[in-house]
Amino acid sequence: MTIFTRLAQWEERGILSPEQHTLLADLSRGEPFSLFFELNILLYLGILAFVAGLGWTVTTWSQQLGDVLVLAVLSTLLAACFWYCFSRAPAWSPAETASPSLVFDYVLYFASLTWVVELAYVETRLQILSGQWDLYLLTTAGLFFFLAYRFDNRLVLSLALSSLAGWFGLTISHWPSHQDEAYRYYAILYSLVVIGAGALLQHRGLKPHFFGTYLNIAANVLFWALLSGVFNHEGYLVWLLGLIAACGASLAWGLARRQFAFVAYAAVYGYIGISSILIRDMNSGTAILSYFLFTGVGMLIMLVQIARRFGREA
Amino acid sequence: MRAYSASSEEALRARDLLKDWVREGFLTEAQYQGVEPETVVDLRRTNIFLRLVLFLFTLIIVGAAVGLFFVVLSPSATQTTGILLLIFAAGSYAAAELAVSQARLYRYGIEEALAACAVGFLCAGMQAAFFSGQAYQPVYAPLAAMIFVLFLPDSWTSSHSVHHLIVAAFYAVGLFLVAALRSRHRFTYLNDRYSIAEALLWLGIYLVINLQVVINLQLLPVNLFGPVSRVATAEFSRPFYWTTWVLTWCLPPLIITRGLRQKDRFVIAVGAIVSILTLITNKPYLGWQRHTWDPMLLGALLIGVVLFLRRWLAAGPGEVRRGFTARRLSGKDHTWMSAAAVALVSPNIVKPIPQTSSPDVRFGGGKSGGGGATSDF
Repeated sequence: MTIFTRLAQWEERGILSPEQHTLLADLSRGEPFSLFFELNILLYLGILAFVAGLGWTVTTWSQQLGDVLVLAVLSTLLAACFWYCFSRAPAWSPAETASPSLVFDYVLYFASLTWVVELAYVETRLQILSGQWDLYLLTTAGLFFFLAYRFDNRLVLSLALSSLAGWFGLTISHWPSHQDEAYRYYAILYSLVVIGAGALLQHRGLKPHFFGTYLNIAANVLFWALLSGVFNHEGYLVWLLGLIAACGASLAWGLARRQFAFVAYAAVYGYIGISSILIRDMNSGTAILSYFLFTGVGMLIMLVQIARRFGREA
Repeated sequence: MRAYSASSEEALRARDLLKDWVREGFLTEAQYQGVEPETVVDLRRTNIFLRLVLFLFTLIIVGAAVGLFFVVLSPSATQTTGILLLIFAAGSYAAAELAVSQARLYRYGIEEALAACAVGFLCAGMQAAFFSGQAYQPVYAPLAAMIFVLFLPDSWTSSHSVHHLIVAAFYAVGLFLVAALRSRHRFTYLNDRYSIAEALLWLGIYLVINLQVVINLQLLPVNLFGPVSRVATAEFSRPFYWTTWVLTWCLPPLIITRGLRQKDRFVIAVGAIVSILTLITNKPYLGWQRHTWDPMLLGALLIGVVLFLRRWLAAGPGEVRRGFTARRLSGKDHTWMSAAAVALVSPNIVKPIPQTSSPDVRFGGGKSGGGGATSDF
C-alpha cells in the first residue's frame, strides 16, 4: 500500500481533512521541493572558499598591497558584517531564537572567520603582542562566546570552544617540561570547565539548547585525554580507571537522556582503551585476532541488547 | 527477489513521513497517534549512532575472523586466497541474509556491515562483484559494480583513452538502465534506491571523464582509481583531452537539470559537486596559472548563486517557484543540519528558520514551519 493510498484512506475515514490530504500528497510527490539543505551547504562552502582565498591572498600579497590597504579591507568587511548582524538581529532572549533569515547566520560566521584572518595578519605583520598568541586566542574565544550567545549561533559557539581549547594548549606549550602530562591534565581541566560552565548556563536558563554542544565537545576532549594516558606504558592504571568512570557516566547519560551519541562514545572509546592495555603484550597475531573476534562478539551482543531495550526506532 | 516485502518498505516509508510531518506541524499528535499503528512492521530498526557502532563492531568481528583464518591456514597461492575470499564473501552474504530474514534487521548496522564485507571480499577475491540484486542494501551493489567495471578494460586495451571510454560507456549504459527502471517507481520507496544508483553513476561518468581529477587523485596516498589513474596528461591524445574538457562543462548542467526535473536530491547534490569540480579543475585543464584569489572568486560565485536562488524562490507566490522552495519543509533537513553542526559544518541547524511570512502560503502556521495542524486547515 503506497503512501498515497494510505492518505486517501485516512481522508475517507475522517482522520485527515481534505486540505491536509492534498498538502501531504503534494509533499509526498515533492511538491514543492525544498532546496533548504542544498542552499545552506552551498552558502557554507562559498564562505569557506572565500575566506580561504582571502587568507591566502593576504598572506601572499601583503607586501605588495601594503598593511594599510589589507587592514582597511579586512576591517571594512568585518564592520559591514557586524553592522548587518546587529542591525538585523531580533531582540536578545535567553531562550532559543530563530534566525531572521537564511543568510544571517552565515554573515556572522563570515565575520568570525574574517576576525581570525585579521587578527593573524595583525600579529604576523605588526607583532603588537610580541607573539603572545594565547592572549589572542583568549580574546577571540571571549568575542566568539559573546557573538554565539548574542545571536544564538551554535557554530560560532563551537569556534569559541575551539579557541578556548587552543588557549589552554598554547598556554602550557610555554612550559619547559612534562608537556604530555601537562597537556593531559589541562585537557581534562578544560573538559570539566566546559561541562561545568555549560551545565551552569543551562541551569540559569541561558540558551539551554547550547548544552549539547558543550557536552559533545567536552566529552570528546576528555576521552582523548584519558585515552592518551591509557596508552602510556607506565602509570596507566589511574587513567584506565578514569576512562572506565567516564565511559560509565557517558553511557548512563546517553541512556537516561536518550542521546545515543554518548552511548557510542562510551562503547568506542572504552573498547579502544581497554583493548590497548589487553593486547599490548600480545605478540601472536592469532591471539590478537582471537581477542578482537571474541571481544567484538561480546560488544555486539551488549550493543544489540542496548539497541533493543533503549534505541529502538520503528 | 527482495529481502524485504514491498508492503513493509512502504509501511516504513509512511511511518517516516508521518514522523516528519508531525514534527513539522503538518499533522497533530492526535492524528499521528490515530494512524501510527497502521504503519507498524515487524522489522527491527535502531537510531543512527547505535547503527554506526554496530556497523563498526560487525566489521571488526568479520575482519578478525577472516584474518584469523588466514593466519592459521596461511595459504600461499594467490588463487587459493582468491577462492577463500569468495567463500568468505558468500559466508558474509549468507549471514546478512540470515540477519534480515531471521532477526528481521533493517538498517541496523549489522546486516549492512555484513553486506559491505560480502562486496569487499568479492571485489578483493576476484575483482568482481556480480552482487545479486538483493535490495536490502542497494548502495553497495552499484558501488561494487562500478569498482568492478574500473578494472574490466585492463585486459582489453593498453590505451588510457580507450580505458576511460570503455568505463564511461559502461557507466552510461548502467545509467540508461537505471533511468529506465526508476521511471516505474517514481513515487514509491524504491525511488530512493534508484536515486542513489543514478547519482553514483553520474558521478562515476564525470570522474572518469574529468582527466584533471583523475590525474590529481594520483597525488593521494591511496590510489582511488586503481589502474585508471596511473596516467599523465601527455598520455592522452589532444582531441581526446579537449573533448573531455568540453564534456566537463556539459555534464554539470545536464546532471543538475536531470536532478531538478526528477526532484532528486542525490542527483542535484552530484550536479553541484561536479559543477564545483569543473570550476576547480578548469585552470589546470587549460594549463593556466592558479591565483591566490581563485578560491575567493569561487566562494563569491557560490554565495551569489545561493542568494540569487533564495531571492528568486522567495519572490514566487507562496515562496514557491516551479515546484521549488527555499524553505525547510522536512524535519530531515533539520536532522542533517544538526549532524553537520557537530562536525562544525553548518551554523543553521540549531535554530528553526522562520518558516513563512506570507499569508497565502497554504502550509503556513504551525509551530515550526508548517502547518495545518493548528490553524490553516
